[in-house]
Amino acid sequence: MSLISALLALRRDPRILKVPPYLSALCILVGVVWLLVLPLNEYSRNTYVSENALLPGQVHTYFTGSEHNIFRAYRHEVAALADSPVHERTQRLGDIFRSSNLKVATQKYEYHSSGRNISNQNVYAILHGPRADATEAIVLIAAWRNMAGEVNHSGVALVLTLARYFKRWSLWSKDIIFLISGDSTSGPQAWVDAYHDSHSPESIEPLSIKSGALQGAVAVDYPAGPWGHRYDKLHVVYDGVNGQLPNLDLFNTAVSIASGQMGIGCTLQRMWKHDDSYQERLQTMLRGMISQGLGHASGPHSSFIPYHVDAITLQTVGDGWHDEMSLGRTVESLFRSLNNLLEHLHQSFFFYLLMQANRFVSIGTYLPSAMLVAVNFSITSIALWVQSGRGASVPNPASTTPNTASDSKPKASTPDMTLARTATGAATLIPTASLAITERHLFLPLAFILTSHFLGLLPLYIFNKTPEPYLRLAFDTTTVVTTLLPLATALLFSKFRRPTSQETILMQCFSLLLLGMFLSALATLNFSLSFLVGIFASPLTFVRCISPPPPNSTSVPGLVMRNRKAISGAVVGLLVLLNPLVVIRAATFYWGKDVVDVLVQAAEGWHVWGLWTQVVIWLVWWPAWFAGSVVVAGGLFS
Amino acid sequence: MRSHCLDNSFQPSPRGCNAAMLSFLSLLFFNLLITFTAAGQDYYERLLLRPLPQSALLASFNFRSNESSASFDQQNFRYFPRSLGQILQHARTKELHLRFSLGRWDAESWGQRPWDGAREGGTGVELWAWLEAQSEEEAFSRWLTLTNALSGLFCASLNFIDATKTIRPVMSFQPEGDHHNSSNLHLLHGTLPHEVVCTENLTPFLKLLPCKGKAGVSSLLDGHKLFDASWQTMSIDVRPVCGKDGADCVLEMEQSVDMVLDIDRSRRPRDNPIPRPLPIEEIACDTSKHYNAEDTCYPLHKSAEPGWNLTEIFGRPLKGACPLTDGDGEGANTVCINTPPERIIQANTTGQYLETWIASDTVRCYKLPTGSDFDLNLPEQEMTTGLILATPPLFAARSINGHGQERGSIQAIIRNPSATDAVEFVYLESLPWFMKPYLHTLRARVDTTSTNPIQETYYRPAVDRARGTHLELRMLIPASSTLTLTYDFEKAILRYTEYPPDANRGFDVAPAVLKLLSSQSSLGDNKGVYLRTTSLLLPLPTPDFSMPYNVIILTSTVMALGFGNIFNLLVRRFVGAEEVMALGAGGLRGVVAARVAAMRTRLLGR
Repeated sequence: MSLISALLALRRDPRILKVPPYLSALCILVGVVWLLVLPLNEYSRNTYVSENALLPGQVHTYFTGSEHNIFRAYRHEVAALADSPVHERTQRLGDIFRSSNLKVATQKYEYHSSGRNISNQNVYAILHGPRADATEAIVLIAAWRNMAGEVNHSGVALVLTLARYFKRWSLWSKDIIFLISGDSTSGPQAWVDAYHDSHSPESIEPLSIKSGALQGAVAVDYPAGPWGHRYDKLHVVYDGVNGQLPNLDLFNTAVSIASGQMGIGCTLQRMWKHDDSYQERLQTMLRGMISQGLGHASGPHSSFIPYHVDAITLQTVGDGWHDEMSLGRTVESLFRSLNNLLEHLHQSFFFYLLMQANRFVSIGTYLPSAMLVAVNFSITSIALWVQSGRGASVPNPASTTPNTASDSKPKASTPDMTLARTATGAATLIPTASLAITERHLFLPLAFILTSHFLGLLPLYIFNKTPEPYLRLAFDTTTVVTTLLPLATALLFSKFRRPTSQETILMQCFSLLLLGMFLSALATLNFSLSFLVGIFASPLTFVRCISPPPPNSTSVPGLVMRNRKAISGAVVGLLVLLNPLVVIRAATFYWGKDVVDVLVQAAEGWHVWGLWTQVVIWLVWWPAWFAGSVVVAGGLFS
Repeated sequence: MRSHCLDNSFQPSPRGCNAAMLSFLSLLFFNLLITFTAAGQDYYERLLLRPLPQSALLASFNFRSNESSASFDQQNFRYFPRSLGQILQHARTKELHLRFSLGRWDAESWGQRPWDGAREGGTGVELWAWLEAQSEEEAFSRWLTLTNALSGLFCASLNFIDATKTIRPVMSFQPEGDHHNSSNLHLLHGTLPHEVVCTENLTPFLKLLPCKGKAGVSSLLDGHKLFDASWQTMSIDVRPVCGKDGADCVLEMEQSVDMVLDIDRSRRPRDNPIPRPLPIEEIACDTSKHYNAEDTCYPLHKSAEPGWNLTEIFGRPLKGACPLTDGDGEGANTVCINTPPERIIQANTTGQYLETWIASDTVRCYKLPTGSDFDLNLPEQEMTTGLILATPPLFAARSINGHGQERGSIQAIIRNPSATDAVEFVYLESLPWFMKPYLHTLRARVDTTSTNPIQETYYRPAVDRARGTHLELRMLIPASSTLTLTYDFEKAILRYTEYPPDANRGFDVAPAVLKLLSSQSSLGDNKGVYLRTTSLLLPLPTPDFSMPYNVIILTSTVMALGFGNIFNLLVRRFVGAEEVMALGAGGLRGVVAARVAAMRTRLLGR
């Protein structure tokens, strides 16, 4: 009882309003530190294969001997097609598949994005599994050109050879589809869309032959030319579109087969040298998070993952002593494992962060960090809501600290008291100010927040619709406009409808409330994106509008009040640096990328892959930044 | 004649129409031949071999035993198996069709199906029967009797054909036998698409034969090879056949096994079945390629027909004739092979055999020796003429579209390859209850016309956990057109216990059955022309089954902790700190001191 009354008394304590900023800062700090300790042995786990049916590396592989001679011949065939027109190429590849007694079909596709025209042709062959009843299928992909734009000579030749080799086995209990896509991202997307009949029929041809439900897909990327190239390691690429990941079992099976059975080292996230130190692990994890956060397609496998088809790309890297046959045997063993599957891959994790080929953290361990970052916005938002409901501050009547002001002017500082009586007749003296009801004026803050969120549609539209030659201009213009827009908005506010300090607080409160909610929901879908946006938006928790003191106030203005314009200006300057567009520009500068390329890819993602990252940036992050900047800039013009 | 030949030939060959015509016609003739020789004898068996493109070989085994109705009613079984006969009598089954199938028929390469599709079933097990009963309820209870009995007889899960998997087709099936004597016949049809057909089903199948796989063509049936086939189907058909005036009825049981073997795969020895890469010397390389070298070889496609013999292909020798077959006449020719006349065939036996060339020399039949092994040897041969395969009247493919846990759609694409004839057919779907079609989304489009191809619809909606959806559509597809049939469906959420152990695999949906109405069977009987699509895998929303165990573990932990605490509170004696002081340090002295203190309080307290 006494505890409850103590808590109730504390509720009115102005000190309670001083806690949230520290609590928010603590949340962010703990969130970041949480992420930093994940690579430690105590917080991450060794990977393991959960699905018993997979039995990775338990079979002998026979892809050797004369198959190597045939592979070399096919590689010459592929090299001869490197410069030939698309239809001739697909015709010839189809003929090679047909000579192995497979069913062959082609698919034309055409996409338009950023004023460019992406059109090409897929060719695929279906091997009817002798033990299969056309209900399940697994896919082996080689894109004609890999992500770097090189012709995938050896990869395509390997798929052709494996198709011929697999046809002889009688143990396949699933159909095997061999897909040679026109390119690495749009081609597989067009194919997998058409396979599930969710393509737009105007520009994408439907598939003339199909098989059963897809159970897994493996892509090979081996661009060595007709004279071959021995590689050092396999780079396992696993990121899907929108940061979705394949089942960890597939990744583990690939790693276990490649490193355990074939003796090929595996690497991930372009960490060519990995000595398993803390720094390397952390770097791998952060690279994985950035890749997941951007949500772009990272290989031919990416388009399959949104359809709940687990997929990875095996990419050869470096100079070493492994040849094409060891890659072929890896794929053979991997397909034998997938062939064993009785059920769709479901046992292992779908949400994980990898920090080495055999070390990971699962969602239960890493999720709190993004959640804490998201919660910090909610805490501040609640604090601002409480603050907005308070009138003028009431000194604590129970306070025993001598008030210097009341000493000098006792008359002025004695608060108005009201006598209150309870039903039993007991009477108390309560400060009148604390009895006053403060009404919140919601219209202006709500209208402002809604408008700023809808304003985000403009950049979303501009960047997805602008043709490539104008993208740089559009980007620069939008950067300048969005930088100046908060200042202009604040100026307009001050000229026409100056928001009261309560309305200013409410604007920030709603903005942070929405941000916190969006980010915590997003953390369960795309952890990395939520975390990255949360970190970049975290200063918005701490910026405030510094309003001038009330005119009738007689107290001596403090240091902050005296320099409030200068401080507001400095904070606005800081926020300009955190403008999403400025951050994008800085990031592209840091990684040495051209911003136009990034925007072109993003637009392709929007039109082809169904990428949602832009939506988060323009409709969640940017409005929050805008609202925060307007609130701070309000201090400049008051 | 010429145009007819071109229409029906699958690959118009440059070899000239005449030879092709001959082979094709002969095939029809041959099929007729099989049919007409049937009625007279009590037991008849035949194996027809037909090489197909891409080194495949179709082997059609056909066994027929007759029993007169009178002796059947008196339970006097001679060729008809007693085990099956008594089941049929007990369940009052007048006509029975049972199918076990595996794999898929590749109509694009292999052409028309054997028996026009009338002797095959969808993937898994399919059963339909005409039962005599007074009411629907009685028919269904007899159906359950039948399925349970057959389940035991054939070692198959036929007893899982319950009300949810049973439909009563209206247009798709017609009785094959003569049922003048029976009234109140009920047709019931059930499928088990997930049933895996294997050797345990073959053994009881062979036991029904009079020669039980010991002699005759059935001695070739070996589980290892049969179930390594690219496609295989076993069927049992029982029907009454009567004379013209409705008398002299016999009960005919026909058993057939059709399989398509991959010759290369079947020839591999059983102890070394691994298809290791051939030594490079044994591969024919294309030396015209500029890069051809010691280590680079573009493989040439083999054009010669592969060589094979029966023992190699079937893994065991043919053990002479079954003594129950006719000694002479048509019925004695028990092994037939359908090849172009130029193909060299050597019969290999120590006994007496007889070779007959029929059907313009495209079919060679052999009368088997009794008591000694028989083998046919076909050497590798470069052929100048080929067998022309009849084009199937329709091509059908069905798939599930869409993705996600909630909805999906089915798309069936049916193509009519004929340039002249429209085809009318019945499309039968039997869907499980947890797949709920939206009939208003049913669309049928033909690419050549805008008229609606659906002429008649029969629809019986599903009832949750009680019966499945039954949909029959009568449709007309114009010449050389493609019909696309689509409808959406919703996936139901099952109860936790209704999921099978491999819940994440998905659920099998039975193949659709297409019965052609307009085209007459080439066999000239009332078996009908059928076509089946492949079965489908339907992924349903599946709970994480580790969750219940987590819940059990968590509740057990909470229970244990809670119980422990409460139990502790109830039974433990709590002692104040002063009392402990009073009790002293413990040990013998402490116990004595406590006793003394207790005595003192008792005495003094009084």
